[in-house]
Amino acid sequence: MLKQVIKYWRTMLKVADTTFRLQVMDTFILFGIVVQPMIIALLAMWMLQGKGANAAIFVVVGSGMTGLWSTLLFVGGNSINDERWEGTLESLIAVPTPLPLIIFGKNIANVVQSLLSMIVSYLFISLAFNYPLHLNSPLLFFISLVFTVFAFICFGLILSPIFLVSPGVQRFQNAMEFPVYILSGFLFPILMLPGWTTPLSYLLPTYWAAEALHGTSSGNATFEQILFYWAMLIIFSIIYLVGANLLFQKVLVKARKDASLSLE
Amino acid sequence: MNAIEVVHLRRIYRPKTGVFRQTVKEVLAVQDVSFEIGQGELFGLVGPNGAGKTTTIKMLTTLLIPTGGYALVHGYDVVKSANDVRKMIGFIFGGERGLYWRLSGIDNLKYFASLYHVDPSVSKTRIPYLLELVGLRDRGNERVEGYSRGMKQRLHVARTLLHDPQILFLDEPTIGLDPVGAREFRQVIRSLQSEKKTILLTTHYMFEADELCQRIGVINQGNMVALDTPANLKHHVADLSVIEVELFGANSNLVDTVRQLPFVDTVQLEDREQRQSMMVQTKLGAEAVPDLLHHLGDIKIGRVQVREPTLEDAYVRLVGGDGHAQAGD
Repeated sequence: MLKQVIKYWRTMLKVADTTFRLQVMDTFILFGIVVQPMIIALLAMWMLQGKGANAAIFVVVGSGMTGLWSTLLFVGGNSINDERWEGTLESLIAVPTPLPLIIFGKNIANVVQSLLSMIVSYLFISLAFNYPLHLNSPLLFFISLVFTVFAFICFGLILSPIFLVSPGVQRFQNAMEFPVYILSGFLFPILMLPGWTTPLSYLLPTYWAAEALHGTSSGNATFEQILFYWAMLIIFSIIYLVGANLLFQKVLVKARKDASLSLE
Repeated sequence: MNAIEVVHLRRIYRPKTGVFRQTVKEVLAVQDVSFEIGQGELFGLVGPNGAGKTTTIKMLTTLLIPTGGYALVHGYDVVKSANDVRKMIGFIFGGERGLYWRLSGIDNLKYFASLYHVDPSVSKTRIPYLLELVGLRDRGNERVEGYSRGMKQRLHVARTLLHDPQILFLDEPTIGLDPVGAREFRQVIRSLQSEKKTILLTTHYMFEADELCQRIGVINQGNMVALDTPANLKHHVADLSVIEVELFGANSNLVDTVRQLPFVDTVQLEDREQRQSMMVQTKLGAEAVPDLLHHLGDIKIGRVQVREPTLEDAYVRLVGGDGHAQAGD
């Protein structure tokens, strides 16, 4: 059992490493993870100057989360279609490593890379232009961040089967971007939304991630509340993980029936 | 136990057209195909485009689910035990795709080795060995985008051998290679055969099938129309001779005229740049030449040759492939 876990863990890290290398060589993606976050960070910090430490950190964390979600949706989602275009999707299906594990590894690379680029951007701009950024509970924030990364990866995992079964779903990616920003409360509290949307927010791990990160960075949440957010993050991550695995099994059978794994 | 057992395999595609009012049409790719391949055998599957060769291979490699019948690979059912099958096999589909072009050859191999759970200590020795085997030892650190088509095909072979599979599926691996590249590739196939690998090879080149395969299955319109050794398949045309006539300005009408002649079994016209080559199968042999030339009329005629039939002639007869074809079809 332990051997199996080590084997899969090693494979997952190799997938993440290879995905990272491939993206570093892609100038389009490189622009997205190096140049673009730097510009956004500069604009955000400039606009937030003098608005109070809490407002600044709220927007910085919120915009960071929107960046994470966009990366996961576009880069992660497109990666299945990229594999299909490159003719490697069939090779990935035909290896003994389960496909969800491969996608999990890819999502690790996408999320961690996006996160690191944003952290570095904000720290660099903050130091270079002397805009202060203050985290109220750095340790709790860091733990929340780890749970957030895991939750985002699991959330991305449940989206991937949709891209696998239908190459045409790419057309609806833009429509999937903003509802999650809004319902998760990345940039403004969900209390500003109509009441009927609240249950939808509760179903999104991204919402609990936003609550945990905003709460620990601004100091607006009690320790008990933060513990509750973490518990919800873990519960939803596990639900999405199990759900994704079941969905992958169904979708893989369908793709093999419909012959949608290759373009030929 | 046979390495591969295929029983009444059938596959129907149901492509959808239209966005709002979708219509589904049925395409029968494989109608009824049965065959067995022994351990360590090099088996060829030949047939015209769209005959069902690639679909058959995709079902055997677990990438497609059959509509009917069943197939066992090393005793495992390709649908019920797909994961067990995947550990036993390697496959190559013809063409340049299927590799990460922005990575080096070695990085591609390291990545796939990891996906096949090859122990890193094993990969360390196996990857250089495979690069040596396929003649890419000195180019392994270069990005794949700089490789020629032949090099990419050879890297595909190395990729497919990473986990040392006993059964290999090679789908038109020499398509598009230059003659030297194709010859080198056939040498790689021979060396795999000497390692007692079971190989299912599909190809359009009859001389290649004749040269490499122990047995050949001829597939046409989704059905297996013949299955035998290359020598026995040639017996299908043992009673025939082939008259090959070089022509200048021949067209499909002339093929129709020749086909009507009582002594003609099949006729095939191939375009070769400024000229055409007409191949007529007949039981009369050289005796038929004067009559044939007479019916060709005023058309300019070049070299005329009467020869023994080859495997390609047997194939043409089996798949009813007479008509007007472009060279290389």
